[in-house]
Amino acid sequence: MAITLESMRADIAEMIHEDPDGIGIEDNLMDLGIDSMRLLNLILKWQEDGLDLDFAELADRFTLAGWWEAIETKQAGAGSRA
Amino acid sequence: MDAKPAAACQTGAPLTEAQTGLWYTQRIDPTNPILNTGQYLDIAGPLDIEAFRDAVDRTVREAEALALRFEDGPDGPLQVVDPARLPFLEIVDLTASPDPQAEALAAIEADTNTPLDLSRDRLAAFLLYRLSPDRHFFYERIHHLAIDGFGMVLVTNRVAEHYACLVNGTEPAASFPPLQVTLDDDRAYAASPKRETDRAFWHEEMAGLEPVTGMAPGRAISSPRFKRESLYLPAVFMERLLAFAADAKVTWPDALTALVAAYCRRFAGTDEIVIGVPHMGRLGNAAARVPCMLMNVLPLRVMPDEAQPLGDYLIDMSKRLMRARRHGRYRSEQLRRDLGLVGGQRRLYGPLVNVQPFDLPPTLPGLDVTLNILGAGAVDDITFTFRGDARTALLMEVDSNPALYSVEATKAHSERLAAFLTSSMEAAALADVPTACATDVERYLVEANRTEHEVPDTTLAALIEAKMRATPDAPALVHEDTTLSYADLDRRTAALAAELKRQGAGRDRIVAVALPRSVELVVALVASLRAGAAYLPLDLDNPPQRLARIVASAKPVCVLAEPGNEAFAGAKVLPPESWPIEPYAAELETPAPGGMAYVIYTSGSTGEPKGVVIEHRAIVNRLEWMRTHYGFTAADRFLQKTPATFDVSVWEFFLPLITGATLVVVPPGAHRDPTAIAALVRRHEITTLHFVPSMLSAFLASPASQGLSVARTFCSGEELTAEHRDRFHDRIEGELHNLYGPTEAAVDVSYWPAGPDDDSAPVPIGFPVWNTRLYVLDELLRPLPPGVAGHLYLAGVQLARCYLGRPDLTEERFVPDPFRPGERMYKTGDLARLREDGAVVYLGRSDHQVKIRGLRIELGEVEAAIAGSALVSDAAVIVREDRPGDKRIVAYVVPTDAYEPERLRSHMAARLADYMVPSAVVEMNTMPVSANGKLDRKTLPAPSFEAPAARAPATPTEAALCRLVAEVLGLEALPDPDADFFNLGGDSLLAVHLLLRVQEHFGFDPGLGVLFEHPTIATLAASIDADRVHDSGLEPVIRLRAGGDEKPPLFIVHPAGGLAWGYRTLARSLAAGRAVYGLQSPAIDPDTPLPDSLDTLAADYAGRIADLCPEGPYHLAGWSVGGIIAHAMAVHLQARGKKVGVVAMLDSYPAECWRAEPEPDETAALRALLAIAGHDPNAHPELTTREAIVAFLRAGDSSLGNLPGAALDGVVRVVLDTNRLVRNHYHSHYEGTVTHIRAGLDHKDRPELVPDLWLAHAAGLDRIEVPFLHPQLTTPAASALIAPELDRWLAQYD
Repeated sequence: MAITLESMRADIAEMIHEDPDGIGIEDNLMDLGIDSMRLLNLILKWQEDGLDLDFAELADRFTLAGWWEAIETKQAGAGSRA
Repeated sequence: MDAKPAAACQTGAPLTEAQTGLWYTQRIDPTNPILNTGQYLDIAGPLDIEAFRDAVDRTVREAEALALRFEDGPDGPLQVVDPARLPFLEIVDLTASPDPQAEALAAIEADTNTPLDLSRDRLAAFLLYRLSPDRHFFYERIHHLAIDGFGMVLVTNRVAEHYACLVNGTEPAASFPPLQVTLDDDRAYAASPKRETDRAFWHEEMAGLEPVTGMAPGRAISSPRFKRESLYLPAVFMERLLAFAADAKVTWPDALTALVAAYCRRFAGTDEIVIGVPHMGRLGNAAARVPCMLMNVLPLRVMPDEAQPLGDYLIDMSKRLMRARRHGRYRSEQLRRDLGLVGGQRRLYGPLVNVQPFDLPPTLPGLDVTLNILGAGAVDDITFTFRGDARTALLMEVDSNPALYSVEATKAHSERLAAFLTSSMEAAALADVPTACATDVERYLVEANRTEHEVPDTTLAALIEAKMRATPDAPALVHEDTTLSYADLDRRTAALAAELKRQGAGRDRIVAVALPRSVELVVALVASLRAGAAYLPLDLDNPPQRLARIVASAKPVCVLAEPGNEAFAGAKVLPPESWPIEPYAAELETPAPGGMAYVIYTSGSTGEPKGVVIEHRAIVNRLEWMRTHYGFTAADRFLQKTPATFDVSVWEFFLPLITGATLVVVPPGAHRDPTAIAALVRRHEITTLHFVPSMLSAFLASPASQGLSVARTFCSGEELTAEHRDRFHDRIEGELHNLYGPTEAAVDVSYWPAGPDDDSAPVPIGFPVWNTRLYVLDELLRPLPPGVAGHLYLAGVQLARCYLGRPDLTEERFVPDPFRPGERMYKTGDLARLREDGAVVYLGRSDHQVKIRGLRIELGEVEAAIAGSALVSDAAVIVREDRPGDKRIVAYVVPTDAYEPERLRSHMAARLADYMVPSAVVEMNTMPVSANGKLDRKTLPAPSFEAPAARAPATPTEAALCRLVAEVLGLEALPDPDADFFNLGGDSLLAVHLLLRVQEHFGFDPGLGVLFEHPTIATLAASIDADRVHDSGLEPVIRLRAGGDEKPPLFIVHPAGGLAWGYRTLARSLAAGRAVYGLQSPAIDPDTPLPDSLDTLAADYAGRIADLCPEGPYHLAGWSVGGIIAHAMAVHLQARGKKVGVVAMLDSYPAECWRAEPEPDETAALRALLAIAGHDPNAHPELTTREAIVAFLRAGDSSLGNLPGAALDGVVRVVLDTNRLVRNHYHSHYEGTVTHIRAGLDHKDRPELVPDLWLAHAAGLDRIEVPFLHPQLTTPAASALIAPELDRWLAQYD
């Protein structure tokens, strides 16, 4: 199951008991309450969805836009290699 | 990547904020290896060694931090990535070893415990230990300056990734970003508005912070090692944790952190605790993927409302953790500086709670890997770490600072915390969760109270009568000139008992006794018991109205008292003159074990006295326990000096009488006169006596108690301090025992042997007596584990029946025992805590809790610190609240001659946490004592507090230091000497600057650690003055060997050269524990004139050592002319009224032996210098001139040869002057014994040089001979023979 920007936004929102609309694309996710443990849980969830993501790959760009960029690259790479 | 200009970290970059704190920590204590972080992977399976080597070496090349070198730069430390330091893998093949695993672990441990030299050593090491073809240990050790826990995970996972790629032939992902990224990021943050926001957040967060404590009292300064207790939490725990956290809608790490914090808070004994939460500091940060040191510790204030629903507490904590992390880049070291919490005792947080969900073993294809973390940084207090993902594994580690927690305490915390967490996850609120675990309850409530013991079910009267029949002729009672045998006592008490029965005495009736200490008093008490009644002692010093009220409420059948006392107007009075002497034939009724034995009135908190009713069974248990426990026999002689109204008197009166021993009754009034007591003890050969501790203190201060020998001394009634105990054993030969108990539990319920080897501080009240239980319970009557203060409850056979005629009070204080259905327990109102050995420590009254600024304070510790100064003969410390809400610690002292307020102040400041130092010291002539001999706290006067104005420097060192501090900190005015360097604006870097200036000014470096321990100018000055003595080597007094306070030091006087360095070997050969000082000639300083005479010199030295140690005895020694000076010093010390101990001479002979000799030439005197420098003069006959000798010394590497020119000139001058001093010296007589150590192989040409010559100048002489020549006496071989002899003589004075 492919991950989309909106499914990511929804997953993050659930994690911090927020409405998905409340998460802006450039918001600092740490300011919204995403900590290392919550990030880890998101990664675990997305791994179940078939995406091989590493904690460190998301840790240094802590916005929805940053994550989406990393995930898009990954999904594209995975596709080309398959 | 494109070629870039060299980054700063390739050439030398300043440390990041994160590194700076660690750098100073290591710099303060360079030999401490605790910042070596390390781990090893246990790899099972066929490892491809070459691929693994390649994987590690590739990682090492990528992770620049592993090759860092640190060096001092002009503006502070710098770091450089040094390619020469890449820590490539080393492979150690242990397959041939008999026990490869043990050998590998030993090597790993040794490496972890080896401190690194930051400028010289590689910061990282990677070793692969090959145990067998299928078993390897991969050990990674990196100094904390280069890496943090997450960085270690990055490095390890990268090694695994490279290995997998090499084995599978795939490509690894991109490498780590360069280290410079973190440095740039750090710089950018430092200048950003975000940092300002973070700073403001933390300042608001920490506003109003009370001083922070840990879970155990003491200084939280990391030791070189820590203790660890590890526990894998079971699968059922992990499942529960995940469900529990999910229910509460918090992450499981936050849930764990919140619960651990609540656990820690209970041990701190304060409403609030501050825990430290390690924070990875990487999220949203360009440095997130760089292996380096970024970790921060966030202080989290936790003040749980234990009654609130647990879920609310967890949500609240989770929110606060989230907020804290948002501001988590602001360094806690900086926050400490901002808040003035640097140095001394002050800290930002207590226990650390560290949840590391990423600490999982890496995946290596085809191999089984387990991860073992060895160390992750300093352990200042206690660190609770949880490693793992809580799905596959969760490891709990409790790491503790051994200076604060024992191995057992650490282990107990591990087990107890696991139980606490497990119960919390089932609880509705924290209040429902007990602190103690099942093991605690079994060990401390059940096991420690297993005191069941067979005791005859009888009465006090029956036991006394049995002895009357068994030993009729033995002396029962001695009072002044009167002695009563057991038969006499039998006859007189039987006669009075019969009369009392006629008056109506019998079971559960009361006979009041109001007599001064006398034979009649004892007769009255025994007769009342034999009549089957209870006695009620009345204090004749009480106001008559009070006595009348007691008599009215107790309704005695009669009062045994002198006639004419208005207080007894309403009662039948039987004066002693009317008592029958000979018994009637009538049989006496034997009382029942359940009958009343005595009633003692105590003051009630409401002001109305209340009568405690004790039954025979209770007091028989108490007395039989004591008789058996201490092995009393008929040969014992007890001193009876406690007033009968104080229940201690009960055993004083009756223990001798049930033992067949002798009771010696002190005359009225004499019980508070130390001289009279000491005289009675000596005259009557007393074996057993009792003191209330404050009276003991006065007794010990009296010259009359010196050297007294008493088999057993018992203390009770108030807190026996460690200082009392130590002073007791210094003066008195015999056992000392601490007993505890309220009147409501038949005198005493617990005991502690306070022997000379006991070093407990505070002294515990100890363990329960027979058939007695001690409970330390929380507010909800649940048992508490050791270390937590609670309420002391008592249970067992000794409890009182009731308060006479007060069922309401009885019900309030005697409550059902929750642990023994159907039994009662007594609420003492005392606070106590258990020690790990099960002994109970008394902490004070629950209604007068000693807390200042929320901190638990053991006033005994303050008292002990004052007493240890030798400046006062008695001290008491209390907390006063003379203005509402303004609690202050006030010390009351009885000064000795040596007392100086300033010295006491600096002495206390050097030993106590700043919040424990009394805010006032009040000088007293004597301590006020109440009627029963206890310290009367109520009458201690209020001190007058003056505004703390800046004072002028008190010593030259203080003055100089004030100037240096002002200079370093750029202050306009000179600071107050009591000001704190860090509060004045100093920080770690400025501290280094200050110490450089101190070194320039004072000529030596006291070390950075000293400033952190003594942050005020005055305490630093005191510490410099104390240390300087032994540093330059040319001071008049040098310390040759450090020692404790308990043994008086030995002073060794220089020989002809004026230096005492030659005694170092001898000093070090003496038994440990005694300080040894060398006295050196002040004339080595060319600016100091030569002394007029040897006697002037000796007087000067005597003054110096008396200043250094106000208390004797003074032990003196000296070689050659040093022995002559020591003899003269002994004479001077005696003349000053000081006690002199050993006066030892190493082959010295009186001055008259030298007067007749031809004057030695200058060459001979100078050649003596060769011997002083450690050369054999006979081997260098060519050295005959001053120039040649000095040149020879300069060329060699002796310490003498390295002296500054002026000092060497000084030595030559002193050597040349020695002859004049000796020849012009005339000995005074020394009223003591000198000890002579003769160089047995010498003096063949002058056989008249014999030790006996000293008998003309001393009262006594001890002598030994050693097979050496005179010049050899300070050699190691001679010292080995002389030191044990000296030790033996010195020990006679200890």
